[in-house]
Amino acid sequence: MDLDTVKERAGPREFSPADDLPEEYRKAATRMIEFHANSEIMGAYLERPFIRQAPSIDRKLAFSAKVQDEIGHGQLLYRAAESLGVKTREEMLDDLANGDGKFLNCFHYPMADWVETPMIAFFVDGAAMRRQATLRRTSWEPYAHAMDKVCFEEGFHVKHGEDILKELMTGSRKEQQMTQKAFEEWWPRIIQFFGPTDDKSTHHDFAASVGLKQQSNDALRNAFLDQYIPKARKYGLEIPDEPRIRERDDGTYEVEEGDLDWDEFFTIAKNDYEPGLGQIDGRKRAQEAVQWVRDAIEGDATAAGGHAPQAAD
Amino acid sequence: MIWEVFRQEKVGGYHTHCGNVHAPDREMAKQFAAVQHGRRKPTNSIWVVPRDEIGEIDAEDVAFGGTTDKAYRWATAYNTTGTDAREVVESEDEQATAEKQRGDD
Repeated sequence: MDLDTVKERAGPREFSPADDLPEEYRKAATRMIEFHANSEIMGAYLERPFIRQAPSIDRKLAFSAKVQDEIGHGQLLYRAAESLGVKTREEMLDDLANGDGKFLNCFHYPMADWVETPMIAFFVDGAAMRRQATLRRTSWEPYAHAMDKVCFEEGFHVKHGEDILKELMTGSRKEQQMTQKAFEEWWPRIIQFFGPTDDKSTHHDFAASVGLKQQSNDALRNAFLDQYIPKARKYGLEIPDEPRIRERDDGTYEVEEGDLDWDEFFTIAKNDYEPGLGQIDGRKRAQEAVQWVRDAIEGDATAAGGHAPQAAD
Repeated sequence: MIWEVFRQEKVGGYHTHCGNVHAPDREMAKQFAAVQHGRRKPTNSIWVVPRDEIGEIDAEDVAFGGTTDKAYRWATAYNTTGTDAREVVESEDEQATAEKQRGDD
């Protein structure tokens, strides 16, 4: 199939591994899905320490379930990316460990305290879900199928995160202040979740023209602001003065993009950001520590019948 | 020989199990499946799989999901606000439906 045919046919769940697709499509899809898969894994590693730090048994159970889910999402997505035939799962995991794999800006920042958990589990997951819901209509069928399961489970993460936020914001005065402080620190990063504005986004046009991407960064960000600003206010969080948020006449919101630190954003995007390197190293050590499990599984499968297993499919 | 049949309704949808056919080989199995399972309901594609190729474990072999109450894993366990984002409401509805169907069929 040539690129023009792909653009013509591009529709929800249109292409599957049986189709003969041009290199450009396969590369763009791999890039997008690998980024997504890496982000799921790095998000899980960021949150993992808080399973032990969670304040009650209920929270521990729910938080460990969430972290398990995120790792599972990563596995599903590596599978969807692998089926494009550009990179193997092994290559993607190696790239992530050695610092070549790209992932979401929010997961480069270290997290120190429990009050920060709803920033990820509510706001970032809420933002992620806003984007993922549109990707159920992406043109790469295995990706769309993965999104069905991801969105199903993500609802629980968002609700759980919201529940933590509610608990903190109806807790002691000190808890409220600490949560507000965490919110002020995380808010600009959360807004940057959707990436640079449409005019600065290098990959959007192609991805949109072949049906991989369903909505532009700006459209997603604005939809997110419309939903989550009222929610933040509802729980008593004050929206910081910077970045400036404008309310349009119809009650929807937009952000003053110039107020966001795009230098830091692009430094992070290149994996050059100092605190983020600690996250990557931590992931690398974990990857190495469980190498023996992968070796054992692989040895086992070869002995049994020769074809490699698809772990966590 | 028994072949299990999986039918996909629309392009991009899942192949879901819909029954089986008796056939001596793959070619016949495909033909029988098309006739028996692909005619009444809208069908985009059909898979046939030899039953022997399917690995099965059942509730006697494994306690699926364990015995712990896993209510905390469901979005419906958290009643936080009535005006959720559309995609969260969607997920919650899907989870509520799945919760209701547990134990059915």
